[in-house]
Amino acid sequence: MMRHRFLAPLLAAGLLACGAARAENTLTPLHFQSDGWRGSIDKAAAQRGFAVYQSVCASCHGMSGLHYRDLEGIGLTPEQVAGIAASIKLADGSAATPDSLFKPPGAVNMGGAVPPDLGAIVAQRPGGTRYVYEFLTGFGPAPDGMTLLPGHFYNRAFPGGQVSMPNVLRDNAVTYADGTKASAAQEAADVAEFLTWSSDPDLAERHIIGLRTVIFFALLAMVALAAKRRIWREEG
Amino acid sequence: MTTETKQGGPRAATPCLAGLCAGLMRRDLAPGAPWLSTLPVLLGAVLALLLASGMALAVFYDPRAAQASLRFIALEVPAGWIMRGYHVTGAGLGFVLLYVHLFRMLLTRGYRGPAAAGWMLWVTLLAALLLAGWLGFALNGGLGGYWSLIDAISASLALSGPAGGVAMWFFGGAPGDGTLARLLVFHAVLGVAAAGLLWLACAATRQARPAPAGRMVAFWPVYAAQAFAALALLALVFALLMCFAPHWGQGAQSQLPASSLAVPAAVSYPWYLTPLAGLTALFPGAGGHALAVIAAAAALYALPWLDRSGGGAPGGLYRALTWLLGLDVLGLGLSAVCPLAAGLQILLFVWFFIHFLVLTPAVTAMEAA
Ligand code: HEC
Repeated sequence: MMRHRFLAPLLAAGLLACGAARAENTLTPLHFQSDGWRGSIDKAAAQRGFAVYQSVCASCHGMSGLHYRDLEGIGLTPEQVAGIAASIKLADGSAATPDSLFKPPGAVNMGGAVPPDLGAIVAQRPGGTRYVYEFLTGFGPAPDGMTLLPGHFYNRAFPGGQVSMPNVLRDNAVTYADGTKASAAQEAADVAEFLTWSSDPDLAERHIIGLRTVIFFALLAMVALAAKRRIWREEG
Repeated sequence: MTTETKQGGPRAATPCLAGLCAGLMRRDLAPGAPWLSTLPVLLGAVLALLLASGMALAVFYDPRAAQASLRFIALEVPAGWIMRGYHVTGAGLGFVLLYVHLFRMLLTRGYRGPAAAGWMLWVTLLAALLLAGWLGFALNGGLGGYWSLIDAISASLALSGPAGGVAMWFFGGAPGDGTLARLLVFHAVLGVAAAGLLWLACAATRQARPAPAGRMVAFWPVYAAQAFAALALLALVFALLMCFAPHWGQGAQSQLPASSLAVPAAVSYPWYLTPLAGLTALFPGAGGHALAVIAAAAALYALPWLDRSGGGAPGGLYRALTWLLGLDVLGLGLSAVCPLAAGLQILLFVWFFIHFLVLTPAVTAMEAA
């Protein structure tokens, strides 16, 4: 199957060969490490999510702005990145390098709907990470009384309930190198975390810097307020 | 080197520094000014940050691929996300400071008599920053800014006569590859001009201060301590917003890519443009929009002469009406976010002008009597 074309070289390149660490259970109840004001990217999940993106989504969806070298941001080593890039054939037939932009998909047009660029999709949809997960797991039989437009599929998370993207995630659509069981829901959660990173690569750094800065300025403000009160008592 | 030359050297070489120091130590300020009187200082700090981060962004920004280059800045430029954060959060917080300061000037009648020149400079600063803010909204390359710009250009190019000429000069013709490059220049020039206007407005307000009487204090250390504490608090709020709510108040479409195919039902503006959007919404076309803006600006400029109270302190009724005006402006802003009933929208619009043209002269004259 075409979708698996990328997978073998990816695995051969040693992607995700970083031990047998299994995924932390993020599905029951559903939560993401990137959630909340202290959230950060779950790098293991984002790496698995990249494998899902590359083998399932990339044939339809682009990731504008990202270079393969940027994958070091989710914890891949330069060697792993070079291996991934080398396994990807660009439109002119040459192999990609770490400095290449993510390969754009061929022109896909499904009944007038063009697959959106996924690079910043989490920032572009209300609900962000969670929405992407719910969208990817929201396919199913249409409820009674709903007539689907031709070339459309029922999706309970998508506004209007009808979407022209088919359900692409199945159990074991990929094989995870870290041994995590690739259920469809797990794949959806992992690719959602990967897309969270691509939308907001500075999320973790921003939260850490933010916390430190806030503590610093809170202390400074207290000192400055005390100094002001004292000066005003003496002079004001 | 002796201590003597060490101390004497720089002072002799930089007489203006010595003059500045003497000025800061001169006891010519009334004691006990409230915290809100630090707002111009805070706005100055935010403007400086906007200019600095704007210069850093301009190095990498590509007006021909606006959103892609902003993504490049976030992804590839070291500390690029920090520069963007400074600029975006600075714009949002700067408008908070400006709106609160203008409201306070209204409430305390800080526009009367000798302060009139200062007031008019503040109104000009508001106009400059609103225009710069709108241009920034367009430069961001999001869906909302793109359509707001396209609408403005196509409407204003339909104008004839001198107004059409001005629009033609400003936008440089139909929207195309060069439009954002042109507007980037205006955006930057307005930013620098705003800094100058702020300085002039503060200087004019200082000129209008009553002559020193009674016990006076110097800026250093009394108001320096206050300004420093206010700056620390501002930095705290800034860091909170920038790091934990980076998209705060920017409008729902700012993250969506500009596209000539996806026409939004309504443009969603950043919060600081919403009162202006609400004010102009009733008048279609560029001519109508311009008319509403000019009328609102004229009412603000004329305020010192619409106030008939002479020297007295603001009365209770005037203050209550000013609070009502504040609610009116909030309502106008809200009307740009979620459509209100047409009657309510008209009422909000009309009230803005009734406040300045009818109620202000009547109530101030009554309270002075
Ligand atoms: C066969 C092509 C195809 C594949 C493979 C595919 N998609 Fe899509 N996708 C589409 C199309 C077409 C749309 C536009 C749907 C519409 O607007 O009706 C879409 C839309 C989306 C959206 C936007 C939904 C919204 O709210 O507008 C997301 C998110 C998305 N896809 C994620 C993914 C992910 C993640 C994968 C991989 C697991 C994937 N897609 C695989 C074709 C595809």
